[in-house]
Formats: sequence, structure tokens, C-alpha cells
Amino acid sequence: MANTPQIMKQGRVVPWLYVLPALLVIAIFIVYPMINTTQLSLSDRSGTGSAAEECVQGQPCWGPLENYRYALTNPEMTTALRNNLLWLLIMVPFTVAIGLAVAVLADRVSYESLVKSLIFMPMAISFIGAGVIWRFMYTIQTGANEAQIGVLNAAISSVGGQPVPWMSTQPINNFALMMVGIWLWAGFSMTILSAALKGLPGEVLEAARVDGATEWQMFWLVMIPMIMPTITVVTTTLIIIVLKIFDIVFVMTGGNFGTEVIANRMFKLIVTNVGRSTAIAVLLLVLTIPVMYFNVKRFQEQEAMR
Amino acid sequence: MKRKLFAVVSLLMVFGLMLTACGPAATQAPAPTEAMAQPTEAMAQPTEAMAQPTATEAAMTGGIDCTGVNSGDTLSVMYQWSGAEEEKFNTIAKPFVDACGVAINAESTRDAAVLDTRVKSTPPDVLFWPSTAIISLYGDQMKDLSALGAHTDNYADFWVSDGTMNGSLLTLPAKADIKTIIWYSPTQFDAFGYSVPTTFNELNTLVEKMVADGNVPWSMGFESGDATGWTGSDFIQDLLLTQQGPEYVKGIIDGSVAYDDQGVQDAYATYQKWASDPKYTVGGATGTVNTAFLDAIYQPFSDPPQSMMVKQSGFAGGEIVKQFPDLKYGTDFDFFQFPGAKGMQGGADYMFAFGDSPAASAFVKYITSMEGGKNWAAAGFDESPNAGATGNYPDEQLSKKSEMLANAQGFTPDLGDVLGNPFQSAEWKAIINVVQGGDIPTELADVAAAQKESLSQ
Repeated sequence: MANTPQIMKQGRVVPWLYVLPALLVIAIFIVYPMINTTQLSLSDRSGTGSAAEECVQGQPCWGPLENYRYALTNPEMTTALRNNLLWLLIMVPFTVAIGLAVAVLADRVSYESLVKSLIFMPMAISFIGAGVIWRFMYTIQTGANEAQIGVLNAAISSVGGQPVPWMSTQPINNFALMMVGIWLWAGFSMTILSAALKGLPGEVLEAARVDGATEWQMFWLVMIPMIMPTITVVTTTLIIIVLKIFDIVFVMTGGNFGTEVIANRMFKLIVTNVGRSTAIAVLLLVLTIPVMYFNVKRFQEQEAMR
Repeated sequence: MKRKLFAVVSLLMVFGLMLTACGPAATQAPAPTEAMAQPTEAMAQPTEAMAQPTATEAAMTGGIDCTGVNSGDTLSVMYQWSGAEEEKFNTIAKPFVDACGVAINAESTRDAAVLDTRVKSTPPDVLFWPSTAIISLYGDQMKDLSALGAHTDNYADFWVSDGTMNGSLLTLPAKADIKTIIWYSPTQFDAFGYSVPTTFNELNTLVEKMVADGNVPWSMGFESGDATGWTGSDFIQDLLLTQQGPEYVKGIIDGSVAYDDQGVQDAYATYQKWASDPKYTVGGATGTVNTAFLDAIYQPFSDPPQSMMVKQSGFAGGEIVKQFPDLKYGTDFDFFQFPGAKGMQGGADYMFAFGDSPAASAFVKYITSMEGGKNWAAAGFDESPNAGATGNYPDEQLSKKSEMLANAQGFTPDLGDVLGNPFQSAEWKAIINVVQGGDIPTELADVAAAQKESLSQ
């Protein structure tokens, strides 16, 4: 005890000094904006008066929560909420499943790195870039005798089919947009899941084989449970990405034709109606809280297991 | 092994947490607002001060009235023009500067906040601004242009009455650019024996005749990403100006006419017929919503032509030449006024005076004089509503548009631009839905609600 150098003796204050820079950064860049956003969400379109002043006589009004009435009941917002849910239900499972399938299958071929590079490549493209590329994929020419220059419609008309207006036909336009998201993010889920698979201890797999498990059983009963924590992380990350989905929709349809999403509404309104825009931001934040909670809980369980 | 996996997992969790954390933060840093994207360019006296002591008491110099101006007086002017536009303004102002020996201090900004600060501290003597909405903000400080000696007889009556508030003439337009025009190919019209329609009935007949001949009359394509629908809103406003007239459109702007009024419904019905049927427009509804508005401009002039006509503002002329450099204005492509339109729609820059010094008065007199109109036209700075402009344009297209403007009974700004959001986005959305077969009264009820909201600020 007596040999402990002076410098190692820490009072109660010293640990706080170590975390102070981090706390400051979080306070300035996360906590303050969050509080400010919440405040603004109760204000009018210019961000100065109260949201209650926005009420139009003869129309329903929620007083200071008027912007939340808009965020939850406006037809464009309900479309956006529905679409975000659709995006979650389709893009997340497909991205994880495709990533997992490629990770498992590529593991068994000699040209694994080539396959993985190809699938991963779209990750290097920005959302905006991907949107522009896929606009060309989906484009349609409607003039008489005009050649189809969009890849999909050119393929369809080359076999004598009718070209499809992918971007303006509901509901296929929503799925066409989700396709872009899956194309972009499958590489992400593949890379992480592949790393997890490679990390599986060989002796466990060996033991399963010795016990006579089929490949199918090995996949479902051994591999999947063992990489479950990783699958969960990929899934929650994707959920958060999909909740915030914006660029693809903005570039490709501008939210028209029933493809509106929450973040696009937020962006459209930030210039003209600060109150509504920030109310949508808060709504988006609230929607991510369960995912966050789940993530943190998992994190703690993991910690306990160690 | 386990530890390694844990490291990967926890790293990802941190990544996930960071992403979540970005959520609220990102909303605080939105894409730059329009106002921010347009930095203020303080121009340091682009016009040289002509410090030649020529006319102090002499009233008229070369047709320019300099009464009361002392050589070396300064005049502060504020406008949104920059670059080539600002040079045109300097060309127009030069004869005045030379004659009266006034030094013009010009400031160029597009930022309404800068204007606000300036008006509340040191207002410019003369302001050019693309909207008359600022009258409701600063009307009390504005000087009566008639009292300053503006030559109101050089302007059509509606300009004067539109600019008059409580008996004071607060503004006159310096320039305007009309959008109420239709582009066509004279070569094609000749080939099929079509003539340019002059009334709305003639247009209707012509459209039906084209359909009977197996030609597609219109290119209605209006895809424009996030702003899809704006071309359609121009078309509908022209229909309103034709079927109802400019007073009706002004009624929509001040709220006395609801946007789901029968007249608006009629305009939408005409538009729906033309924009959603493949007999009337290239590709029918699918073509209208999927074809980029620029591609629609090219369609009547491609080989073979996809359609006969496209309704688009003056900029279409430049786009046609860019896409088809061999085409000549007047023979291969030309435009005519939207047939039967009782008023024009478009953008205009208005002149306001906050100062009443002799220099400000002389400048207002100069701009509104025949001489000023002539110089404005000669600079080729859009169309001048000043009677002195007639016959002085350097280019045929401007000259033709200016003639249409001179014969108009009224002028209305773009509805969406004046009313702003939520009206504008509701209008565009309704147009898209109506083209895709939406029920007109239902769609317009939504826009009328948004109109009320826009007006209630």
C-alpha cells in the first residue's frame, strides 16, 4: 500500500475529469439538439410562437401538440408511416437473409473473395448515387416507337412484353425502391455475418458432424443459434437505417405516387414548417427507442455472460 | 474465439448506437435552406460614380429629368440580380448616371432577412424585388411613386391599380417574364395545315382535329423529382386565366375564391382530359407522370415528332436550341400565346421607393419614362411593361412576349409561389393524383384546406 505512487491515488473527482470531454461532446452534439428539437416541435411553423396558433378554425386541433396531430393523422404522414413499416418488414429480413445466404454459400467455394467483393461493392456507393443508377434501371419511355432505355423495361419489351411504369405504379413502386435498399445493404450484412461464421469454433461443427447432423440441421441448429448475437446486431442496425430511409425515395420519386417516408416529410417541411418538421423528428426518435432499448439489453446480457 | 466475436459484436453495437444517436442530431442540421444557399453578395459600387459637374440646376439632359439633383448625389439601390443580370441593370442605369451625375450604391441580395434588416435600419432609396408581398411588411415606409413623379401613363391600368394601396401607388413593375405561352413547330403545323389558334375554342377544335388526324396534340410530361407537378400547375393557371380571367386567379391568392370552386374544377377537368389520355398526350397518364419536363419540351421537335405542342415558359426556347442546334427560331420552333388567356402569368421584378431624395425621384422618373422603357428593352432584360419598350428589343422572342404582355388585361404571379406551402405541395400532389385518375372534387378539397392554411399565417 505504502508503495503506491502518488499519481495512482485518485480522488472522487479524477474519474469525472476523464469522462468530462466525452460528456461535453455528448451534451453539445446530442443532448442539447434533442432538447431543442423537442421544444421546437411544440412551436409554430416559424419556430417562434406556440403550435396552438397553427390551428385552423373548424378543423381538429390538439393545442400545443398540434404538430403531433399532423405527424400522426395527416394522410401524407399516415402513408409515410405505413411505408416505413413496409420498408422494415421487407428490407430488413431480405437484407439479412440474402447476406446470410451469401455468407454461408460463399464459404464453400474457392472464389469466395470475388463473390463477396461483388456483393459488397454497392456499399461503396452513396444512397443518392444508387438512387440515380436505379432511376435509369426503372425508367420508361412512353412515346410512340420510342426504344426503352431503362434496363428492366428494355428486357421486358425485348421479349415482347408491355413496359411497366415502375416508379408511378402502386404498390410495385414501393417494392422497387426497397430493392435498391436491399442491393445496397446486403453486402453489409454479408460481411458481418461471414466474419461471425468464420469465428465459429471448428470443434463444435466437427462434433455435430460426428453426431450425424445433416448440413441442413447444422445450419439451423448449430450455426444460426451460435451467430444469433451477430444476427441481432445486424438486424437492429438495419432497422435504424431503414427507419431513417430518405435518400433513395427523395431521388427516385420525391415521395410521390404513395412512396412517401417519414424522413422525406421531415426534410420537405424543415424549410417551410419548423414545428411540424421537428415533431416528425421527435416521432422518429421515439420509434428508435425500442430498438435502442433492445440493443442495450442485449449488450448487458452479453456482458453478464462473459 | 469468444472474445474476438465479442469484440466484433460490441464494435457493431457502438456503431449502431452512434447511428441512433445521429437520428436526432441530424434533424438539427438540415440541408441548407434556400435562404442560406443564396449568399448575400454585397456589391461594391458596380456603377462608377460620374463626378462630372454637368447639370446641377439644368432640368432635362438628353431626355432625362434630373430636377433638383446635385452632381455627386448618391442613390442606394437594392435588388436580387447578380452577374449578367446585374450588368444589364448597369447598362440600363448608365444613361441616368451619366446625365444626372448620380453615384449608385447597389447591393445585391436574395435573402429576405437581409432586406428586413436593411429596411428596419437604413432602407435603400429604391428596391427591386420579385414579389409585392413585402408591401404588407414595409408598406408604411414606402413612398408614393406618383408623388415622386413616376410616369404612370406608360403602364397599363392594371399595373397601376395592382400597385396601389390605400390611394398610394407603392409599386410598378420594372420587368416581367410571361409563362402563358405554347411552343410548337411551324414546319409541322404547315405540313398538316394547322393554323395557330387565337381563342380557346379554336384551341379545342385544333386539339380535336389533331387527334382525328392521328397526331398527339400535347407533351404534358412533368416529372421533376421532388418538384414533380409544377409544369402542370402552370398549365392549370393558364386554363384559369383563359376560362375565368385574372381577377379570379387573384381571388385564389387573397382567399376570396376557394381552390375547390367550380371554376377551378372545370380547369382541372380540361387538364385531366388532356394530360391523362394517350390520344391527347404522349404516353397518357403514365407518360405525363414519368416523362421529365425537359424531355417533354423536346418531344414536339424530335424526328419524328412525338407531339404537336408543349406548354412551357420562355426558357424552353433555349432548351430546344441546346438539344437541337440545327433548329431555327421562327421556322422550326416558335411559340404563341395561350389562346384566349385574359391575363398573363409569370414572374416580375417590382420597383419600390423608400427614399424621396431628388436622386430617388429622378431615378423613378427615369425608369418609368419612355426613355427608361426603351433602354430597358434594348438591354434585353426580360420584358418591360413600360410602353417605351415597344419595338426596342434586341431579340424577336422577347419582342413577341412583350407584345403579348402589352395586350394583356392582367398579370398574376404563380399561385404556388405566392401562397407557398402547404398550398404548393398540396397543389402538385393533387395534379399528380388527378392525372392518375383521381376524383377532382375530392383532390381539390385537400388543396382548398391547404390554401386556407397558407393564407392563415
